[in-house]
Amino acid sequence: MTFKKWTALLIAMMMVVGTLAACSSAPAEATAAAEPEATQEVVASEPEATAEPFTLVFWHTYGDGEEEQFKNVVLPMWNELHPEITIEAVRQDGGQYHEMIVTSFGTGQSPDVARIDIVNTAAYASQGGLVALSDYEDFAALKDTFLEGPLSTNLYQGGYYGLPLDTNCKAAVINTAIMKDLGIEGAPATMEEFIAAAETRGTYSLNVSGVGDWDLYPYFWLFGGSLTDEGFTKASGYLDGADSVAAIQTMLDLHAKKVFTIRDVDGSVDAWDGINSEYAMFFEGPWFFGSYEERLSQGIIAATIPTYNGRSASVVGGENIAVFATSKHTDAAYEFAKFMTSEAVQLAMLEKGQLPVLKSLVNNETVLNNPVWSVYMAQLESASARIPSPNNEQIKQVWSDAMTEIFVNGADVQTTLTAAAQQMDGLLG
Amino acid sequence: MIALRHSLMEPTNLEHSGKGKHVQRNAVSKRKWKKGVKGWLAALPFVLPGLILVGLFVLYPMLFTIRISLSNYRIVQGQIDFVGLKNYINILTDASGRFWYAYRNNFLYALVTVPLILFGGMVFAYLINNLKRGRTMFKVGFYLPVITSWVIVSLVFTYMFNNSDRGLINYILVDKLHILNDYVPWLLREWSGNAAIWLMGAWKNIGWAMLIFLAALQSIPRDLYEAADLDGAGIWGKFRHITIACLKPTAYYVLVNMIIGSFNVFIQVMLLTEGNPNGRTSVLQYLLYDKAFGQFQFGEASAIGLISAVTIVILTTLLNRMLKLDTVEKGGADA
Repeated sequence: MTFKKWTALLIAMMMVVGTLAACSSAPAEATAAAEPEATQEVVASEPEATAEPFTLVFWHTYGDGEEEQFKNVVLPMWNELHPEITIEAVRQDGGQYHEMIVTSFGTGQSPDVARIDIVNTAAYASQGGLVALSDYEDFAALKDTFLEGPLSTNLYQGGYYGLPLDTNCKAAVINTAIMKDLGIEGAPATMEEFIAAAETRGTYSLNVSGVGDWDLYPYFWLFGGSLTDEGFTKASGYLDGADSVAAIQTMLDLHAKKVFTIRDVDGSVDAWDGINSEYAMFFEGPWFFGSYEERLSQGIIAATIPTYNGRSASVVGGENIAVFATSKHTDAAYEFAKFMTSEAVQLAMLEKGQLPVLKSLVNNETVLNNPVWSVYMAQLESASARIPSPNNEQIKQVWSDAMTEIFVNGADVQTTLTAAAQQMDGLLG
Repeated sequence: MIALRHSLMEPTNLEHSGKGKHVQRNAVSKRKWKKGVKGWLAALPFVLPGLILVGLFVLYPMLFTIRISLSNYRIVQGQIDFVGLKNYINILTDASGRFWYAYRNNFLYALVTVPLILFGGMVFAYLINNLKRGRTMFKVGFYLPVITSWVIVSLVFTYMFNNSDRGLINYILVDKLHILNDYVPWLLREWSGNAAIWLMGAWKNIGWAMLIFLAALQSIPRDLYEAADLDGAGIWGKFRHITIACLKPTAYYVLVNMIIGSFNVFIQVMLLTEGNPNGRTSVLQYLLYDKAFGQFQFGEASAIGLISAVTIVILTTLLNRMLKLDTVEKGGADA
């Protein structure tokens, strides 16, 4: 071989070694990710013995206001309690947050602890990505301090894989001027009263955006429908039961009578826009009232969803805080999760509109004195969680497919719900 | 003397025997092999880095994808349980028919957008090429959509096809022209949603085709047109027999690229319709994304990826055979 060839070979070898070296670090980290259960057991049985300082990575999707409150008020409280544990708070983009977490599962770069959407908790748990917090000894006592609805969103196969962090639900947003035109002062107490008044108006008074679970579940439950049994194990006999069929039929009747419109079906004006001039009411989360004073000046108020057959209904939203199985400090991460659900932190975050998840704060003065928070906290009592299942996405799809068939394509209610219930049965098992 | 002669004759005899032939063949093949090894050794330093990179970033992921498509994959543990063809069966027999709608939509996208892009690009290139002034302005104008972000274009299309009177199309059709009585949720209907996706794809890519055709047009020798003039050919005759003929190889290049590109449609579906209603506007890449990130069904997602890859390979092979691309290239070179 000539000198040139040897040089070329040498360079090639260096590139190969470089490439392999660059790639070899990933599998080493991936190995840690591949044995989360073992790590979890070791860490769980041997709490942090040393007082050596370390860092916990905390992912969240707080907005500007909440992030500021977290950094300036909450973190100093933590630092005082645990000076040896530094919290590295990483604000992620809310739009692609779920994808970020899924990717982190694959690369073994998950955070130690994160604020996650309630609907994804069971799915992450089913992948082995989260630590079962119910395995901790003090969890049994801790669990009773939380509101039932938000807590249930952490359930997966009998274990709890997170703690509720903040909550919300849908409540009624009322245009008082239009209600007055309908002959109702302020918010209607019952749906029966509202429907009777709105039927004669001749134009839509009640609006919902689409046919998805977050949109239609409150109406479905309000009119008497049910998705599954209490243990979320079976949909047949519930989703396609007589009460559920009647609930959907009520919605169809209201739609036919031009009381109730679905924006995505009818091409009607979006609720946030239409509530100012066209609609008397729609259901929305507390974020609609960014500035309550401004809304109030427009004659728009928050109220609990009017009862139908004597009971109200809503759907639970919000976030949980979960400890990731790949964390090397699961005990400390659990400690941080508990800290985030403590009364002091919950009250601090409430100042920025994060509704608390503790039973002890339902009747707190700060909550009761706020015209929006008090409504939503009261509504939470009749709010239900969506099915806590690792197959949440598919269940959501089955629901919206069925509703599209009924509301867009005019499919038979009973037949469609029976087919949907059978599909859901397969996803609940 | 006789002995010497005999010994000299021996090799000659051996040559005629089978054993002799075998030895000679061995020697030849050994020489060839040595030459081959030598050649490889000389080339290896240059191709090895490329081979390793291709192996690591193309072949390994491809083989891994095949493996996942035949398995139940738990991403955190990295646990891969072989399940045979279950993932393929699941997606092909899914009650909602989402896979088949997505597959159909990929073909429809190709059927609708490729002719639009091909002929649109060719016509606009021809018109621009014949302009005396303002060529650059038109070139930039047509190419702008290509370099504009998909996200921004999607936002504009979402606004145009908005489902209430806030949307431009509804405003024109209902409020201005009174052609329709009610506002239509365009992006939430099967065919209007698909039409919006096609329109966006065609609008975004036509500038690229135009530029390629323009480059091809400018490479057509002027003397061909001059000769045609002398022969008394008209505008249409020149366009048909010179322009079109010379543009054939370019047209095939654009055609093949666009058809392959039709199976990579993703962003416009994600940003405009998210596959709604009920997956009727979905495409394979969006379904794959939804299966992997939304449903943690990595096996099914990999199966979808492989099916689309196989489809692209089959289509490319068919196109190569049907269009006889080798012949075309030679023809193009001759032209």
